[in-house]
Amino acid sequence: MKNRSRLWHRRLPLRARIIGAFTLGAIIAALFLVIITYGLSRESMLRQRETSSQEQFFANARQVQGALRAEDPDFALLLESLPSLSGSRSILRTSENTWVSLSLAPSDLPTLLIDEVKNASTARQMRYRLEGESQLAVGLRLRPSQISTLTDVAYFEITPLSEIENTLESLGLILILGAIATVLIGASAGLWASGRVLSPLTDISAVAQALANGQFAARVETTDDPDLMPIIRSFNDMAATMEQRIAKDARFASDVSHELRSPLMTLRASIEVMQSRRIELPERASQALDLLAGDVDRFEKLVQDLLDLARSNSGSIPSDLVNMTELVEATVAMFEKQPPISILDGANNALVIGDKRRLAQVFDNLLRNAEKYANGATLIEITQSEGRVYVSVEDAGPGVSPSERELIFQAFTRGNAAKNRGTGGGAGLGLALVDEHTRRHGGSAKAGNRKDGHRGARFTIDLPMVGRK
Amino acid sequence: MNIRILAVEDDERILTALTFALEDEGWQVVKADSGEVALAEFHKETIDLVLIDIMLPGIDGFELCREIRSISDVPIIMVTARDDTHDIVAGLEAGADDYLTKPFAPKELSARIRALLRRSRSDSTNEPLLRVGDLELNRDEGVVSLGDKKIHLTRTEFHLLYELAENPNKVRSREYLLEKVWGYGYFGDGRLVDVHVRRLRTKIEVDAASPQYVVTVRGMGYKLQH
Repeated sequence: MKNRSRLWHRRLPLRARIIGAFTLGAIIAALFLVIITYGLSRESMLRQRETSSQEQFFANARQVQGALRAEDPDFALLLESLPSLSGSRSILRTSENTWVSLSLAPSDLPTLLIDEVKNASTARQMRYRLEGESQLAVGLRLRPSQISTLTDVAYFEITPLSEIENTLESLGLILILGAIATVLIGASAGLWASGRVLSPLTDISAVAQALANGQFAARVETTDDPDLMPIIRSFNDMAATMEQRIAKDARFASDVSHELRSPLMTLRASIEVMQSRRIELPERASQALDLLAGDVDRFEKLVQDLLDLARSNSGSIPSDLVNMTELVEATVAMFEKQPPISILDGANNALVIGDKRRLAQVFDNLLRNAEKYANGATLIEITQSEGRVYVSVEDAGPGVSPSERELIFQAFTRGNAAKNRGTGGGAGLGLALVDEHTRRHGGSAKAGNRKDGHRGARFTIDLPMVGRK
Repeated sequence: MNIRILAVEDDERILTALTFALEDEGWQVVKADSGEVALAEFHKETIDLVLIDIMLPGIDGFELCREIRSISDVPIIMVTARDDTHDIVAGLEAGADDYLTKPFAPKELSARIRALLRRSRSDSTNEPLLRVGDLELNRDEGVVSLGDKKIHLTRTEFHLLYELAENPNKVRSREYLLEKVWGYGYFGDGRLVDVHVRRLRTKIEVDAASPQYVVTVRGMGYKLQH
């Protein structure tokens, strides 16, 4: 049972369940009302008709009774003179097989009633159908009079109930229409209520999405609703804790990098002073100086990347119009080994909005990455489609295995290639920064293998394109 | 002529290392480890260029920059914290001509110094008077006349105005101005141009908020309207 209900829950979304519950409730309420109203109305109308019919019947029966005192009453005339309410018709049995009536035949009466009346001393009544219409038949055995020879006289009257039935039919129709309207109202109330109930969930999911996209300041708006308060509060608390954690991490990285800048400054300046005097240095000292200079460069790059990574979580991006062709060309120009740049599909001079320096860093890091793991990039390709500009950097290295394609963009992750080649060079911050900067510019970075069948990696970043120069 | 650079930096190690590097370029370095010492030295000596670290005890870099700017047109290079956009703009607004972020290569510093000094020297060569409307640029004096009013500009401001005034109504991109005035390549910081244009406007425009001379052409650059 429990399993079944859980299954049911799983199959139907919450929204459908709420609407269903409201609709079901409305159906039950409407049915209940329809049945009660119809039943009560029917009863009271019929009873009223019965009462008036009975009143008339007894009045008429009294007159017939009175006529029995005469010696030879003219029953036909009498019956004609009797008032007829709501189309009631009368018939009089004067003896076993003698009937007097203006409009009825004895066969029009239910035999059961005739039999009952024969044996009863009080009036008997019965509902039955005649010629397709519902009728109320009342009968009474009259007391024989001393004068008359007639001893077995019974008076009957039938009143058609079709009029009431028509009214009840209309009432029933109205009630059914009312019931349908009620069910519809119930269903729409369910729709509205489910919207209301789900709206906090919608809000929360929107905020969760914003958090996932790196907008760490996003919070769910608080309400006074005591039912919703706890979940919203705990969600916001969670978001705040997360934001603090991230800010703390970023601040730590930023502080460390800050502190490292001063000694780096001294190191860099001192090394330059020594380098300008390398002729005066002995062979081994000059070799050691080269090692030192190389590692200070690397160290400095690492500190800068770390600082950029820490900083990119906060603050806004400058909104310069950046020409991608110019940017890529200027970045490539800083490298010794310059790959050819291929610009396809009218992507020449594509413009994006953002921070020129950070975007340059993206390509700089991609080119450095290619240099580090694949002896340099072999091709840069710029294309555009559907409002986005794509820049791909290809190399002829070992490529990126499918399992590494996501991982490679995380900080301090290094590709298998590095391990295989045993260089150990480079901290895995470059690609993390590529990912971070492109995401901050509304784009994304992807790693894969070359499409032309040759061995090698292909890194592609895409950015929203705002036009062309 | 011996070029004398006043280097203001409170970290003694950095100051020493930078002094070595600058002296290797053949320049004389006057060292100061605080703003107060720097001001005293500035009054005492003839200084051709000032290098100021923004983070200083006592008088901070911005204030020192403003003090020096109020009495001299000497080229000033600011050394800022790398991750602080606010510092860069504030430093430029305080009157710095250019900036570097720590840690920078001394070679880069030398290149910046040379770019500023080269301009200073070329200012003293004889050039004809340039006239655009009411604006009169006397390259010889580094002075601009607006009608009969004489306006004093720093060399960088003057140079920037001159680049625009050479071809009135021609739109000059920030990259172009960065290269011409500061000697930067593609990766020069456009804020250098923006802040200097702002400074220039406060000096030559009647209402800096709605400039009549140095006009911004959105998405393109600046031009001198005539």
